[in-house]
Amino acid sequence: MAFTIDLGPCINCGLCRRACPTECIHFFTTGRRTHVIDPAFCIDCGICAKVCPVDCIAHDPHYVHEPSVLAEAKQQAKAWARRRYERDRAARAAAEAAVRRLNPALASDD
Amino acid sequence: MGTLAERMKDSPSRRDPPYRPVMSLSEEERHALEARIGTVQNFGPETLRRMISADHSNIELRKALVSSIRSAEFAGVDAFSRKVVEWQNWPVPPTLIMAMARQTWDEVRHAQLAVGLLQSYGGEIGEYPDTLAGGNGGPAARAMQEQMLGDDPSDPLISLSTTNVSLEGAALALFEATSQLGRQIGDELLEHCYDYNWADEVTHTAIGDYFVKQICDGDPVQERRALSVHARHERMRAGLSGEQTEEIRQFFAEEDERGATALGGPVVARAG
Repeated sequence: MAFTIDLGPCINCGLCRRACPTECIHFFTTGRRTHVIDPAFCIDCGICAKVCPVDCIAHDPHYVHEPSVLAEAKQQAKAWARRRYERDRAARAAAEAAVRRLNPALASDD
Repeated sequence: MGTLAERMKDSPSRRDPPYRPVMSLSEEERHALEARIGTVQNFGPETLRRMISADHSNIELRKALVSSIRSAEFAGVDAFSRKVVEWQNWPVPPTLIMAMARQTWDEVRHAQLAVGLLQSYGGEIGEYPDTLAGGNGGPAARAMQEQMLGDDPSDPLISLSTTNVSLEGAALALFEATSQLGRQIGDELLEHCYDYNWADEVTHTAIGDYFVKQICDGDPVQERRALSVHARHERMRAGLSGEQTEEIRQFFAEEDERGATALGGPVVARAG
């Protein structure tokens, strides 16, 4: 299975595209102002449907994956998740250090 | 004395208290800001959200967070009200002018919500400086936008693609995350104010997309312009956050190729 976008209600906000871990949602390279999911690289994670503000993304139950492409897409998603996790962890650590500098009492709590 | 649209074009953005961009703070003001939130670089919604998450008790951080967002709301009142006047000189549907009037009022409500939130924290407008977005509706900012976009920012198609669709589309994530933070730390006012803003932002993005589609209907050249400025706008924002996507790189590579073909292949065109 893969996800698909109903272009009628889509408002092209781009949230799904920016949230997709395999960058398989295209907009700028479609030649039109339309968000399109490349089903071959969709790993069925559902993040796009979850962030869509107008609920225009749904399952395409008929799509059948080519196993090797799906495996490649999953590797890509893992790398994306790792990058995001590392970035979030670094940002969180920096924020925690900043609040400890502002409020030394927090540091002594640790 | 020109028309109202001509006069507005040259009039700078004003607010009382006046805009005070963070980039132009005096040494003394900078130290005062640093004493409250750490460093000037912390004065942005994403960093402030993380800091609040790490220390719920520091009310200054909440004031700074709301202040860092509210600059854009005031700038929105300024920008959308200008469009109501200036776009009357463009061949656009009257409903688009009405939509801009509605959006102006939405931004006023967002600014009012920000004022109320700040008051609830014991703060006020002007206490914290403005972010980059503060006071950018005037002529100086327009020249900068034109250079950045490579197109005319006063053209409704360009403005709708960049402000309504690209910028407001991205703001959905900002409002959602801020509302979630409110839920996480038990600040119901913060949660509900930004949930309210989020809902308006969905409508603004929808308005932008609807009219861009109308203007581009059956005109691939206009559609390409809309896509191109949207990509430039997003590339700029992604450059700031370090989240460049492969698709944007690909889009500009294709644009370059198209440009090279247009320049290198005029043998046929010239012969014609």
